[in-house]
Amino acid sequence: MASDDDALKAAVFQRLHPRTYLDRFVAEKYRPDGRQFDGWRDVSVNVGSISTADGSALVRLGETTIVCGVKAEFAEPELDAPDAGFLVPNVDLPALCSPKFKPGPPSDEAQVLSDRLNEVLSTTIPLSSLVIKPGKLVWVLYVDATCINYDGNVFDAALLAMVAALRNTKLPKPIIRENDEHVVCSRTETIPLQIAKTPISMSFGVFDTTLLADPTAFEEPLLDTTISVVLDEQNSLVAVSQLGPGLPGDEDVLSTCISAAKQRRVSLEKQIL
Amino acid sequence: MDRRRINGPTEDSFGPVFEADEAEGIWTPADGRKDRGLLDIRPIFLQPGLISEANGSAYIETQKTKIACAVYGPRQSKNTAYSETGRLNVEVKFTPFSCRRRRAPLRDAEDRSLAVAIHQALVSSVRLELLPKSTIDVFITIIECDGLESCVAAGSVAASTALADAGIELFGLVVSCAASLVENQVWLDPTEDEERVSAGTIVLSCLPALNKITNVWQTGQMPALDVLRCMEACQQKATAEIHSIVAQALLENAKI
Repeated sequence: MASDDDALKAAVFQRLHPRTYLDRFVAEKYRPDGRQFDGWRDVSVNVGSISTADGSALVRLGETTIVCGVKAEFAEPELDAPDAGFLVPNVDLPALCSPKFKPGPPSDEAQVLSDRLNEVLSTTIPLSSLVIKPGKLVWVLYVDATCINYDGNVFDAALLAMVAALRNTKLPKPIIRENDEHVVCSRTETIPLQIAKTPISMSFGVFDTTLLADPTAFEEPLLDTTISVVLDEQNSLVAVSQLGPGLPGDEDVLSTCISAAKQRRVSLEKQIL
Repeated sequence: MDRRRINGPTEDSFGPVFEADEAEGIWTPADGRKDRGLLDIRPIFLQPGLISEANGSAYIETQKTKIACAVYGPRQSKNTAYSETGRLNVEVKFTPFSCRRRRAPLRDAEDRSLAVAIHQALVSSVRLELLPKSTIDVFITIIECDGLESCVAAGSVAASTALADAGIELFGLVVSCAASLVENQVWLDPTEDEERVSAGTIVLSCLPALNKITNVWQTGQMPALDVLRCMEACQQKATAEIHSIVAQALLENAKI
């Protein structure tokens, strides 16, 4: 009974004084979930479990859970870009995933996430590979990710889910006949997508003077700075963002993050791709 | 044009057209069911408590149908007049990739009717009179849908499990089952293909603890006698099998 009581006291303290709570852990060189500062949470990726999607992935990053499905549709290309298909990524943070969100149109956070993911994903697939009939018909790939459980670092998880879903995607083979306006698809033959790059994101946060890898939903609101490093399979940079100030003093926090991200990317790649 | 999302082409996109089916190999109701008997339901996987920040949650999977449900509350009602009893608020959301045709956000009204059906199934089981001025939010996300009526049934079961997981006082667990009338026979827990060839479909939700029905939803053309036959089959299945599955899942979750 005493331990139950202590656990309740700790939970109340965490609720009322989150900053002090985290401070005490950081002073002991640990984080509330038992990780060290540079520790990453376990990742699991499960692809192809949704039969109604043309490609799908379920990603768990610690407790954070994201499902992503790709739906391919036909559309006419834009007049100014007759040789380009469409890649349309969107993230949904429904009210289901956390008490932070309300039902209704996408929250600010979801809009920002979708926009950042759109920029990174535009490097993955050459839009010219999505053309069926130049100027007439192209593929639209709707890449929709839904958060089921929100426990921080959703950007990393969503990008991983989207990339894994795209790698899993198989388009039905279009059959183009001469003198026939209409294009039909084969029911049996499929073709995989041409993936030019597989970007993976690694995010960090700065709490006071400490660099924390892969922050959780509890740590995220307390961070002064968030840093995301997106690397491709050659370990070269695709995107870097730092929101907030660096560490005080001379230490170059961005280069520290980039080299930590490179190490992480190598071990992650062995594990999941 | 929705400025809050990343938009696709300016002209509407449409699902790919497939070449005509070959006559052989298409399933017809005369072939019967391949993998189960007419009165068998699909195996249910039910896992309470997987959304860490929710007061209660549940995930249900019956073969292709996959639904997640979270319960938040009871919490203070905001922007509503004073009310002696609590409010139960049910919201259903389809993921865009959950059905064969893509469900574009905003252009979809089906989720509302599902929310009403699930609300009706649950509302009489919750002791709302104990929760003045409060709201219980039930959020349901359909990740994959194989048969709309079966989705309502699975959603109701998941929601009731999540309510129990949240520790909200209930009169009992709501369990729910769907049935279709195919070629004058009762087929329980129909899939999307089976619903399409059926004359009509019903969803029945009940409270086995009080031996009461909470909601019946019937669509399609069915003679009254057949509706009763379907209801009877649903109720039997729900009381005998589904109720113990839910109870078992909650019990195992409580032990950990």
